[in-house]
Amino acid sequence: MSPHLEVVANESVATITVAALSKRFPNGTLAVDDISFTVPQGQVVGLLGLSGSGKSTLMRLINGLHTPTSGTVNVLGVDVGQAKPADLRDLRRQLGFIFQQFGLVGRATCLENVLIGSLGRLKGPRIGIRTYPKALRVMALERLDRVGLGAQAFQRAETLSGGQMQRVAIARSLMQEPKVLLADEPVASLDPESSNQVLDLISTIAREDGMTVLCSLHQVELAIGRTDRLIGLRDGKIVLDQMTAGINPNVVMDLYRRHGTSDEVREASYA
Amino acid sequence: MNTTVEARRNTPPLTPQYFLKLASIVAGFVAVWWAWNRLNMSVLSFFDDLQNVVNLFKRMYPPNFSDTDRIISLTFETLWIALLGTFGAVILSYPLAIGAAANTTKHPIIRFLCRGIITLSRAVPELILAAVFVVAYGPGPFAGILALALHSIGMIGKLFSDSIEEASEASGEAVTSVGATRRQRIRSAVIPQALPSFIATALFRLEINIRGSAVLGLVGAGGIGQLISESLETIQYKPALAAVIVVFFVILIVELVSTSIRQSLIGEAATQQQNKQRGRLSSFINRRDALLNKTAYEKRSISAPWTTERVFRTTAFVSFAVLLFFAISTVNIEWSNTIQNTPKMGTVLRQMFPPSAGGEYSLMIKGLIESLAIAIVSTFLGVLVALPLGVLMARNINVRRFMSFGTRIGVLGLRGIPELIIAVIFVSAMGLGPVPGTLALSVTVAVFASKLFADSLEEVLPAPREAVSAVGASKVQEFFSAVVPQFISPFVSNFFYLLDVFFRSSTVLGIVGGGGIGYLLISSIRVYQFKLTMAIVISVYLIVLIIEWLGLGMRRLFK
Repeated sequence: MSPHLEVVANESVATITVAALSKRFPNGTLAVDDISFTVPQGQVVGLLGLSGSGKSTLMRLINGLHTPTSGTVNVLGVDVGQAKPADLRDLRRQLGFIFQQFGLVGRATCLENVLIGSLGRLKGPRIGIRTYPKALRVMALERLDRVGLGAQAFQRAETLSGGQMQRVAIARSLMQEPKVLLADEPVASLDPESSNQVLDLISTIAREDGMTVLCSLHQVELAIGRTDRLIGLRDGKIVLDQMTAGINPNVVMDLYRRHGTSDEVREASYA
Repeated sequence: MNTTVEARRNTPPLTPQYFLKLASIVAGFVAVWWAWNRLNMSVLSFFDDLQNVVNLFKRMYPPNFSDTDRIISLTFETLWIALLGTFGAVILSYPLAIGAAANTTKHPIIRFLCRGIITLSRAVPELILAAVFVVAYGPGPFAGILALALHSIGMIGKLFSDSIEEASEASGEAVTSVGATRRQRIRSAVIPQALPSFIATALFRLEINIRGSAVLGLVGAGGIGQLISESLETIQYKPALAAVIVVFFVILIVELVSTSIRQSLIGEAATQQQNKQRGRLSSFINRRDALLNKTAYEKRSISAPWTTERVFRTTAFVSFAVLLFFAISTVNIEWSNTIQNTPKMGTVLRQMFPPSAGGEYSLMIKGLIESLAIAIVSTFLGVLVALPLGVLMARNINVRRFMSFGTRIGVLGLRGIPELIIAVIFVSAMGLGPVPGTLALSVTVAVFASKLFADSLEEVLPAPREAVSAVGASKVQEFFSAVVPQFISPFVSNFFYLLDVFFRSSTVLGIVGGGGIGYLLISSIRVYQFKLTMAIVISVYLIVLIIEWLGLGMRRLFK
């Protein structure tokens, strides 16, 4: 199925290296607790865990929207925690980010939303499609075709369905020609059918373009068959890290089991 | 789709809507250009004008507070006029609001009538009402109170009926289901839900009316405005500055007090705070009861316990009642005279009909056009200044806390000064005419609009901004790609709201010599040409309706 079957910590092709990473928020929450792992180039990694297990924080630490409390994140050779704002912007240009809530500008057309993906390469502000160079406009159309929404190019983003919005968001990150795609619960707001469509799109594109993908999910069954490797988080710690092929779904399901079944036990665990 | 990507359209299709938008923007600029020329405005003379204002302030400095007795008594009169006017408006608005709300009044004709009265009472500026009442009841605070009370119904009645309509239906149904009458339902289910918002509305209007009552003196309706206009007319600048400073601080204090009360009444933070207090109190009461070794039965009480919240509420209520009593007993009104003069008011009203411009037709048209031009130019200039100020004030855009806070304080401080006082000062500095009026109004627009813009900017959704910055966009790119598109629609509606509000203001600038229809309006009242007064009032209202209609269309176009 996939050529990347081994978890190789080969530094020369490693795209993301996380070492002893922790993040404590000002309110005292320890969201990420001493995490280390390496993702080689081209690997599609599924990130699983309950809400609040630290998945979103980890993603934002990787693209520098959050800064680590301790430990390091190295992405494409850049130490994210220590990078200057300008270097961080350069790095972000190469990292696609897909949000649960899509992050589209509702009033703008699909094409303009896709064009926003090229802002990192442009100097100065842009208002309206006509202010982007023609080559980029053609490229944006191609990207929309690729996610199957070429016909909706001049429709306002707010008029689309949830699944279509997420596909526009994917087209927007394709404008960046990213080496890495970070997807933070890309299907958590979508119905099952759109979820399948969006995840298929992400995994197909990733394999065609050789992109490294880190995608957080809630449903185990969605991850199996689309990812190379699964990392499971609980309370900010890694509790599972295996190749997807041949994995026992029950082992993964354990991630979603509370420490006990009754409320009493659950409360005790939070005390 | 067999054409190549290169051959396909890569710019938005040129829809009729697109051309309509373009045309309306061009029309807007043409209107500004026309108004600018009509008023003989010139950017070059701004510096002279500024110099004149600075010179005036030099002559005004230092302020002369020597007439202390008069300043103090007029300041209190200003306060009492605002307080009694607002209280009167609340009393009048309460039944009107119940009559106008769809969930308390089912009869369509009663609802229409109540809504009509509420809308009409806003149509006439309070200063014009005051001037008319001065004719009937003689100069003094009574005319001012009556004017504020009647004019405020427009806003208070509207907001009251809105909050009645927002009350949840479920509790009303529950009360009806136990066999309660309609009045019992309103009293027990609707009003308790709407009360916090009622009080907040009344306090908000009190803030506005303090500003209003500070200028009522310009038409002889009492308050400190009298002192300001008298001093400036007799070229006694130093006492005038003293009065302006007093006005500024009185307004600021009333605003601070009222804002803090309003915030403790409504909003999420208020509810949290109240819950916290309740929690603390009930634990205190429990501990006290445990200490007194009370049995479960003895702990039961048939009246609500004296929690801090209840103490606070009762204290506020009692002190308000005392204040009101004090206001009524100290304000300088001879009630017997007032009752005697009421038939005179009837005569004035009868003389207003049928409205007719008579021989002053062309003067009226000229004045109206000038007022419109003043409104257009001052809204344009004010918005131009307010846009960057709003960006600086919006806490989600300008993350430098001290800068957004500093701009806020500066702007809110300036907001306290009523536009007519700024106009009086500018007219004294630059001479009579529409230019000082326009500049004074521009200052008020800028202050008012920057707060509106900052509020709309703070409502911008954060998700698209995060997504845009995640592609590596700079702060400036993020602002133009994710914030500006979300701001267009509120900007358009705010713009027409400003034009509406400040066109109304521009029609009274003439009272202080600031140009527009106001001069003819106030003279018509002073020489008892009430038919002309009515004709002007109706024309002004028609123009307001046109502006509102235009705004509605533009809001739809730029949605």
